[in-house]
Amino acid sequence: MSSVVPDRVVLDPRFAPPFPQAALPVLRNPQLRKNVAHAIDVIQGKRGKLVAEKTDWQALRTAASAIRSHALENLGAYLEQFEERCTAAGGIVHWAADAGEARSIILDLVRHENANEVIKIKTMTSAEIQLNPFLEANGVNVFETDLAEIILQLGEEEPSHIVVPALHVNRSQVREIFARRMGLKNLSDDPKELTNAARTYLRQKFLTIPTAIGGANSLIAETGSVAVVESEGNGRMCLTLPRTLITLAGIEKVIPRFQDLEVILQLLARSATGERMNPYTSLWTGVMPGDGPQEFHVVLLDNGRSSILAKPKQRQTLKCIRCAACMNACPVYRQTGGHAYGSVYPGPIGAILTPQLMNMEHAQSLPFASSLCGACYEVCPVKINIPEVLLELRSQVVNQERRQAGRIFDPLYLGLRIANFLFAGAGRFHAAQGLGRIGARLFTRKDGWIHSLPSVGAKWTQTRDLRGLPPQNFHEWWAARRKEAK
Amino acid sequence: MRASLFITCYNDTLFPETGRAVVSLLERLGVELEFNSQQTCCGQMHANTGFRREAFAQAKRFIHIYRDAETVVAPSSSCVAMMRDQYPGLIEELGDEALRKEFEALLPRVYELSEFLIDRLGMEDVGSYFPHRVAYHASCHGVRALHLGERPYRLLAKVRGLELVPIPNADRCCGFGGTFSVKNAEVSSAMLAAKLQDVVSTRAEYCTALDNSCLMHLGGAMHRQYVGMKTIHLAEILASSEADNERFPVEAIR
Amino acid sequence: MNTSSRQSILERVRSATETAAPARIAEAYAALPRDYLRQGAMTREACLDLMIERLREYDAEVVETSPEQLLAAIRAQLETSGKRIFAAPEGLPSEWLIPGLDWKVDRGLTTAEIEAAEGVVTAAFCGIADSGTIALHHSPAEGRRVLTLLPDWHLCILRASQVVETLPEYFSRCPKPPALATYISGPSATADIEMTRIKGVHGPRFLHVLLVHDESIFKVAIRQGVDSKSARSTVSDGLPALPGTPDEL
Repeated sequence: MSSVVPDRVVLDPRFAPPFPQAALPVLRNPQLRKNVAHAIDVIQGKRGKLVAEKTDWQALRTAASAIRSHALENLGAYLEQFEERCTAAGGIVHWAADAGEARSIILDLVRHENANEVIKIKTMTSAEIQLNPFLEANGVNVFETDLAEIILQLGEEEPSHIVVPALHVNRSQVREIFARRMGLKNLSDDPKELTNAARTYLRQKFLTIPTAIGGANSLIAETGSVAVVESEGNGRMCLTLPRTLITLAGIEKVIPRFQDLEVILQLLARSATGERMNPYTSLWTGVMPGDGPQEFHVVLLDNGRSSILAKPKQRQTLKCIRCAACMNACPVYRQTGGHAYGSVYPGPIGAILTPQLMNMEHAQSLPFASSLCGACYEVCPVKINIPEVLLELRSQVVNQERRQAGRIFDPLYLGLRIANFLFAGAGRFHAAQGLGRIGARLFTRKDGWIHSLPSVGAKWTQTRDLRGLPPQNFHEWWAARRKEAK
Repeated sequence: MRASLFITCYNDTLFPETGRAVVSLLERLGVELEFNSQQTCCGQMHANTGFRREAFAQAKRFIHIYRDAETVVAPSSSCVAMMRDQYPGLIEELGDEALRKEFEALLPRVYELSEFLIDRLGMEDVGSYFPHRVAYHASCHGVRALHLGERPYRLLAKVRGLELVPIPNADRCCGFGGTFSVKNAEVSSAMLAAKLQDVVSTRAEYCTALDNSCLMHLGGAMHRQYVGMKTIHLAEILASSEADNERFPVEAIR
Repeated sequence: MNTSSRQSILERVRSATETAAPARIAEAYAALPRDYLRQGAMTREACLDLMIERLREYDAEVVETSPEQLLAAIRAQLETSGKRIFAAPEGLPSEWLIPGLDWKVDRGLTTAEIEAAEGVVTAAFCGIADSGTIALHHSPAEGRRVLTLLPDWHLCILRASQVVETLPEYFSRCPKPPALATYISGPSATADIEMTRIKGVHGPRFLHVLLVHDESIFKVAIRQGVDSKSARSTVSDGLPALPGTPDEL
């Protein structure tokens, strides 16, 4: 089997099918579900042990949440401080209001180098602005250097997780991709051999391509430094070998001081991959003569973040440190994987971030892609109350939809509005219960259960029966009992 | 001790036996129960589906109905979670100072059933007898919103004859999620299938919980698939005594 | 450089938040809750044992040694490595450049020359026991970043006095934030294929650490089984001061 998912996956929120629809092909793909569940179980198992041994875990979360909130509350000041310090150290800071502007800035920088190829460190922000297709279309070859990103790039696949983007791909699928695209006929599916193939494939690129594009985990205002957290070493390669480095980062990545890393670094790897610390963390400031790139650019990206910042109930979304703990804990994500979310940001964080970045004009189904179980909030290292934001966004979507002409006939809308009317008075409520009981008899079978319902109800009875309405409900029983007592 | 019962809209309509069990249990424990027949719904369904405007009205009504109650007991952790988690935000948005005061005075007096028994009555052994193998499903609202912790387990431990079997992956959501179960029916069903596997692996006769919402979702699938297990609200287990044993006969299949 | 976007973004950001005076911001920052562990509670002995244990969990080879035994230990490591060509930072103590091997001291090595080196020897700034992390600040004795990246084999000389238990302790040791830093926690790894952790994708696949017990002569003596009298008779502070390390400040 050459393809991992049967249907073409679209990760553009403007064009992606709504979540319930997008989930269907995934739910019917046992291999994919198995791959996702396996990856999640490994991470969660490791995370669980490490969190249990970290006696100050909750105190760390409290501190991280406070640091991130404080940084957002004073974002203007901290951004300016970062720019000033980074520039003083020899970096060049650019500001991009939206994705299009960021793409243009980066292309201009690449062209300025007369470069027609770049090496790239994985950055979700670049996927958010759809950088790769844009560069390719403009004659620049982009070489992803993260193993997962190579797998996805060569396999013409889309990421399904923000930390382990190829978690939906298993080893034999990787073998097939590498064998085909790297021309390695005798490659086995042993992960060690596969990794070695990637190492060889990339070595020359690292040593010869002089322009690199990457992201940032944190921008440190106090010093104008950038921190990048990674596992494989391709980050270090891209950050030190080329002549020119371009770092793309969302404006929300700013943290006040170097010391704040002592909190974030203790939480990040444990949350993301279930390790006490990731193998390599790199920190650099502007340009260091004789060590690393001699030309360094930072492209600060807004692309909707300042709008989220302006909304008090929603601002907490920007605290995110992109650890993916939420999707690892999410029972919905466990069943659907990332592609169903139609965005480079999947899972619980994606369900709130994506529609907001789209100014609530797209991805309106995502805030509903949750059973509100709260597992995400429980594990979030920066205490984003994701369920709270989901509820807020749901009400915004409903307010939008209410205004649509045909909506009045939507069975769910109709049903809820009728229910609200009924709940407003005991008399109506009781009368409706009585009528409902009569109506339900039409659907109730001899075993006393309802096996099939029309309209919205059919969504229930697809997979579940419903017990028939009892002949006497509770308040009737209470009233009768009281009467008897007299 | 007086308590006012908030039966919840869906228990009233679909699971009156849970309400009867709560009455039987609390009266047995010497609680003087009242039932305000004006009650309808706490507003959770509307709030969770994004119908905030409607939820305001229902929240106001609830506060109004119960403002003079000494205590309020509800056999539903999701409804109590609604009041603790979402009512504060709704009330603040309404900007009604008098309502806010009423609500702040009322909230500490609202209890989920297991909280009422353990925290308010200070009891773990409530005189129950239920000689069956039982698996307890910890609903998300109970675990994460109400932080019920050990309470349900402590109550179950004191039920004579009851054999409690742990469900693997107990903290994982069953997939009901209110209107999620119909808006995302297929995903909800996938989560349900995974949960059902874990529950069935216990070979329990009964699956119990503090919320009939989760139980109707699990039980609905059990019934559809002829799974030899029943669902039962924890109140009904706690209400059972020796005299009731005929009503819940020990089943031969283990 | 695209000042109009800069202006519009900053305007949007400022109008989205309350603009506080710098003094107020600093006040608010100082008041942030930090109830996490700032200080370790282990004895030095336990802390060093933990550092060694964590390093070994990452498949790093750790050998304990004393200041007097250091040169012999370095020689042993280099000789058993099976390698001949070693890169070295410019500020590495010259005694550590064991004769008989092909040393490429970095006084401006080209990338190709570093790539041709089979191994590299460096000092370090700090070790963090909790996570088995080695922090490099790329001082002259630690070398440029590329020096500990390209060669496949890295021998790191870490002094016991440089090891702390917790990450916050490392931060409190930094006299000021470093301009460059690399934190290494084991050799590079990936878990991208079915979550199977594979060692050594890019970056050195082999990490060797010499942990030099420089803190207390008696402790060194006990650990090494050497009698305290002979231990005391050697160099009193244990190690030559390394240029560019906190010793010098």
